[in-house]
Amino acid sequence: MSNETTGAYLQVDNLVKYFGNDKAVDGISFGIPEGAFLTLLGPSGCGKTTTLMSIAGLHTIDGGRIKVGDTVFTSPKEGLFLPPEKRDIGMVFQSYAIWPHMTVAENVAYPLEIRKIEQPEIDDRVADVLKLVGLTAEADKLATNLSGGQQQRASLARAIVSKPRLLLFDEPLSNLDLKLREQMRVELKRIQNEVGITSIYVTHDQSEALVMSDEIIVMSKGKIEQRGGPVEIYSRPVNEYVSNFIGVANLLKGKVLEVNEPGQGLFELAQDGKQVQMPCQLSPGIAAGEDAVLSVRPENVHAVREKDGDTTLEGEVTFAIFLGSHVDCRVQWGDFEWKVIAHPRTRLKAGEKVYLKFDPEHTLAVQP
Amino acid sequence: MTTEALSPTRERSPLNNRLRAMLTQENIITLVVAIIVAGAVVVPLAVLFVSSFKVLDPLGWDTTWGFGNYVEMFTDRIIPKAFLNTLIISSGSTILATFLGVSLAWINARTNCPGRDYLEPYNLIPFFLSPFIGAIAWHNLGEPQTGLLNNWVRDIFGVDWALINIDNIYGVIWVTGIFFAPLVYLFVVGSLRRMDPSLEDSARTTGAGLIRTTMTITLPLVMPGILSGAIIVFVTSAGEFGVPFKLSAPYGWETLTTQIFSKAVGDDANHFLGAAMSMALGIITVLLIWIQQRYIAPRSFTTVTGKGFRPNVLDLGPWRWVAFGYNLMFIAVAVVLPIVCLIIVSLHPVWTGKIVWADITTINYVKTLFWWRPDAIAAATNGIVNSLILAFGGASIAMVMALVISYMIHRTKGFGVRMLDFLSVVPIGFPGIVLAMGVLVTYIQTPIYATLWILMLAYITRFFPYGQRNISSIMLAISEELDQSSRMAGASWFTTLWRITIPLLKPGLFAGWILLFIIFLRELSISIILFTTGTETLSVGVYYLTNFENEPLTAALSMAQTVLLLIAIYAFRRFAGREALTA
Amino acid sequence: MSMNADTMDPKVSINHLYKSYGEETAVKDFNLDIAPGEFVTLLGPSGCGKTTTLRCVAGLERPEAGEIRIGTETVVAPEKDIYLFPEHRNIGMVFQSYAVWPHMTVFDNVAYGLRVRRASGAEIKRRTMNALELVGLDQQADRFATKLSGGQRQRVALARAIVYEPEVILFDEPLSNLDAKLREQMRDEIVRLQKEVGITSIFVTHDQSEALVMSDRVVVMDKAVIQQIGDPQDIYANPVNSFVANFIGVTSLLEGKLLSRDGEVCDVEVPGANGHDGLRIQAIGGEGAQAGDKLFLSLRPEDITLHLDKPEGTGHGNVVQGNVIDTIYLGSFLEGRVRVGEHEIGIQIDHYENLTPGQPVYLSFQPEHGLCLTD
Repeated sequence: MSNETTGAYLQVDNLVKYFGNDKAVDGISFGIPEGAFLTLLGPSGCGKTTTLMSIAGLHTIDGGRIKVGDTVFTSPKEGLFLPPEKRDIGMVFQSYAIWPHMTVAENVAYPLEIRKIEQPEIDDRVADVLKLVGLTAEADKLATNLSGGQQQRASLARAIVSKPRLLLFDEPLSNLDLKLREQMRVELKRIQNEVGITSIYVTHDQSEALVMSDEIIVMSKGKIEQRGGPVEIYSRPVNEYVSNFIGVANLLKGKVLEVNEPGQGLFELAQDGKQVQMPCQLSPGIAAGEDAVLSVRPENVHAVREKDGDTTLEGEVTFAIFLGSHVDCRVQWGDFEWKVIAHPRTRLKAGEKVYLKFDPEHTLAVQP
Repeated sequence: MTTEALSPTRERSPLNNRLRAMLTQENIITLVVAIIVAGAVVVPLAVLFVSSFKVLDPLGWDTTWGFGNYVEMFTDRIIPKAFLNTLIISSGSTILATFLGVSLAWINARTNCPGRDYLEPYNLIPFFLSPFIGAIAWHNLGEPQTGLLNNWVRDIFGVDWALINIDNIYGVIWVTGIFFAPLVYLFVVGSLRRMDPSLEDSARTTGAGLIRTTMTITLPLVMPGILSGAIIVFVTSAGEFGVPFKLSAPYGWETLTTQIFSKAVGDDANHFLGAAMSMALGIITVLLIWIQQRYIAPRSFTTVTGKGFRPNVLDLGPWRWVAFGYNLMFIAVAVVLPIVCLIIVSLHPVWTGKIVWADITTINYVKTLFWWRPDAIAAATNGIVNSLILAFGGASIAMVMALVISYMIHRTKGFGVRMLDFLSVVPIGFPGIVLAMGVLVTYIQTPIYATLWILMLAYITRFFPYGQRNISSIMLAISEELDQSSRMAGASWFTTLWRITIPLLKPGLFAGWILLFIIFLRELSISIILFTTGTETLSVGVYYLTNFENEPLTAALSMAQTVLLLIAIYAFRRFAGREALTA
Repeated sequence: MSMNADTMDPKVSINHLYKSYGEETAVKDFNLDIAPGEFVTLLGPSGCGKTTTLRCVAGLERPEAGEIRIGTETVVAPEKDIYLFPEHRNIGMVFQSYAVWPHMTVFDNVAYGLRVRRASGAEIKRRTMNALELVGLDQQADRFATKLSGGQRQRVALARAIVYEPEVILFDEPLSNLDAKLREQMRDEIVRLQKEVGITSIFVTHDQSEALVMSDRVVVMDKAVIQQIGDPQDIYANPVNSFVANFIGVTSLLEGKLLSRDGEVCDVEVPGANGHDGLRIQAIGGEGAQAGDKLFLSLRPEDITLHLDKPEGTGHGNVVQGNVIDTIYLGSFLEGRVRVGEHEIGIQIDHYENLTPGQPVYLSFQPEHGLCLTD
């Protein structure tokens, strides 16, 4: 977990926020370099939205300090609280929050009018930003006549038009249907890349986080579980929680027998009195002899019909669901049901006996 | 944005900063309003309560503390009977209004009755008109000797008896019943229309027939709406003054409201006994409204699924013409007949029960409307001007108040908010005449007594919740993120209110304003307690004419009020919708 | 488990069904026999007529022509003036909006169908509790339906529909109001329950993955007409036209021309434009097409292999060169788009590969993984 603080543009230190007696955010700290795209990821109630709202200034905080550049946004200890309108932040909300009594162009022009910018410049900048989000043709439509996806584009345009120092996203895609969501996440990322504004993105959807982010912070119960790039988070989760939350994983309790080289070792599984050992990667902080959890992604478990030198386990296919591009299988091994993804052309069927192979490169021992 | 605006106020001490943070525009305004509302609502009711324990000595000079007034209520010759009559009238009109309201709503929402899209606005008209004027019109239709309907029947069938006699408590039930039917209609029609059709479809596919589905699924689902409507009708009928005053009190059927009125202004005025009776009436109505708000309204089922559904429509076959006739009949007795009758009566110098074409005259309109003429009747001409002032001014002030209160309730946090939420329900529980008694005993010794201000104060206190509900329903529907995104765009709290929140609430503000305008224009039961010479309102003018002048003059002023109301109703239809009413 | 309708009397039989709304034809000449115990899914985009068909079976819509039989009874046949009300058809139905009655307890909701059928008190109790146990809600029997979560409500709806053992159970997009995780859970639950109870089921959905996972047979509909009927694997592997290929799973469709045919294998030319060279590709399918006819070539992303350098010795000529447009990292795999000439081809790689937009790559695929479609 790296909380590199020096040289960060946005710096959150020891943020604490209570709701009544509940600690919604429990002393988290992180920094972001200028221009980066950071995602706060976690289930509902993990504190990600509260963190975002604290940065936005839409509520006060109970402890800690938030700073952007040289400006302290809030610091209760020093009695500092900058109201949201003075923070110079653009924000995109889940409900789009497009003002229905204004046209698209009026919505987008609003932040510039508030900043008392001259009319000709407003017109230019609104036209530019509408072009960027692809809404030029809709400029004079009332916001209520737009589709969900278009409203979200308008909302994004409004958030970036004043070139704010920070861009905040509060689950902006969760009201869209699946197809549109997949389209919009690529689009959002492209626009953010183009304008280069430092962005914080809040979501509970792990695939969204993987697709869009430069970096991801996985949160749970008001604390940070792991921080890293998408590939790192997916392929090297540090603990059972992250492994389970991001993607799908086979998780089994066991023991690390020995550590060979740094970061590599031998893992022992026990089921029904049978003991199986397999080489694995170790996540940081795991030593020989400790209890740990084995984490293997279904796509990294290979089911074959013939036993050979590399196969470790023997099991029975309990069901195989055809999903078009792949087959979702379950393989029973003792009490444990392995989730396995197979190619459709293997034509695995329920009731078959299969052997499982593991790739040491993608077999992890993580902290419970 | 300049960098200066971005730097926080570093130089001040933390404590100073915290104090400053509390004294925001937002907090100051909301605090002031909370105090004003509490003063307006709580003070009169508290004074009324205290006054009810002051007993006037037999000579009328001095008062002592005690329960004497409450004892007298039970030992008096008339008051216990008035209690009973109020109970009978309220129960009767509740049953009638519920039957009419539910059946009409069902016909309009769920059957293929012809022309149902055009009928609805007319079904709702009685809701806006004055029931007092309805009583006057029905008196002229159903009085045994001079009633127009009775005379028509006598002429056509050559009989010598009267078809109906409206001047008794059954007449009161009839008029309040048909005038309050739209209340029940409004509570029921929405849930009938918005009900998820698969709730009924699933009963059908499970094996239940149409009738069983209606009895076990449809009706239970709209039952909370029916009960809410019924309770509101019961409470409104109990507080209704004009109809029993016109149709039953003169013939020996007093009610609580007519008795309170006689204790407030009559020859045997006794404000303290009036206060005690008001307390008794108020406690009953508050209790019922509390039950409705607390236990019935939250059970409303269809709001859970409240999406835009296309409801199942029942094919009535030839019976649809019966339904159509039934609906036309309602509009006839509630709207058309009363208005036609008033027009006819108002065009005669004296009313004998028959149309005399040779006598047709406009003199009654001249005397009641042309204030510059020497033969104008001051009580009537004053009424128009005063009512317009009260309606314009009162509706405007009340809506500003309603806006601020709604904003506080839905957009700010703190202990004052819960109190406000409560305070904005309380006035709904008290009939106008009860609140007016409270205002009377509170302010009778102050300079605002005998001015229009006291009327306006009472109007606003009693009716601002209606405006507030209109705004709140919209405020609940618009996401708080709309406000927040304006703050994020760099706008201050006040700019956000002015440029985002208020424009978004415009439909609700407007609907609420016209609704209050209509209510104030026809208001009687508050005005009748608080008016003095010179501050008569339209309805007080009508009261004066029917009490001290003749029926044709009364009918003329009634028509003037009705025309004003119809114009306002038209404006309401244009700018607001049915939704604005059920809020 | 698709049963042969010839050897067993169908449980539901729909013949020449027509239904229109004003000018618009909603269902046109719909024919389908469903065997007892079979799970059939009507799949298609919104407005394709799948829900209308289901509602005709339920009796909630009246068709203009055709005939529907449930068991041995004709429930609707406009030409013969037969129409049975929904309550006389002995069916169970589960709705998208759950339609659980909020003024009743869970028990009363489920018992409703038995009470309507005048079952005895003891039997109502026994069968209702059985059904609730089956959906795992026996602990919640006395709670009000409004206190339940979305998933639980849908279980109540399911129990309510099966408790009186109807001839057939109809599902009208029952999962589309649930969130993704719950949807998968409920999907598996319904399949398990259907197999356990063995009840004939018609399921309507617009979600192809639901259809693939749950069904014995899938009926793909578009524009009021049946496009294809078959078991999931068959429909995925052998779509009859480009609509089905595109709607079921993901595919890249390239328009081309049949040059010649050698047994199974077609030689196809995909023309280039704007100065790009055309492609020569070997693929299968294309039955009935003559040399020179227009064809659509369907390529599934998972069948395409990505090479960073030009591959040698593939044993076939299906190698094309292109440039990466973009990639999306989804954890378990990497999705990408590659521009080949003026065409865009979707790929799917099962490991992480650092590809930059514009980077030149090579794509290859086996001839038997390319499918020619004539329509």
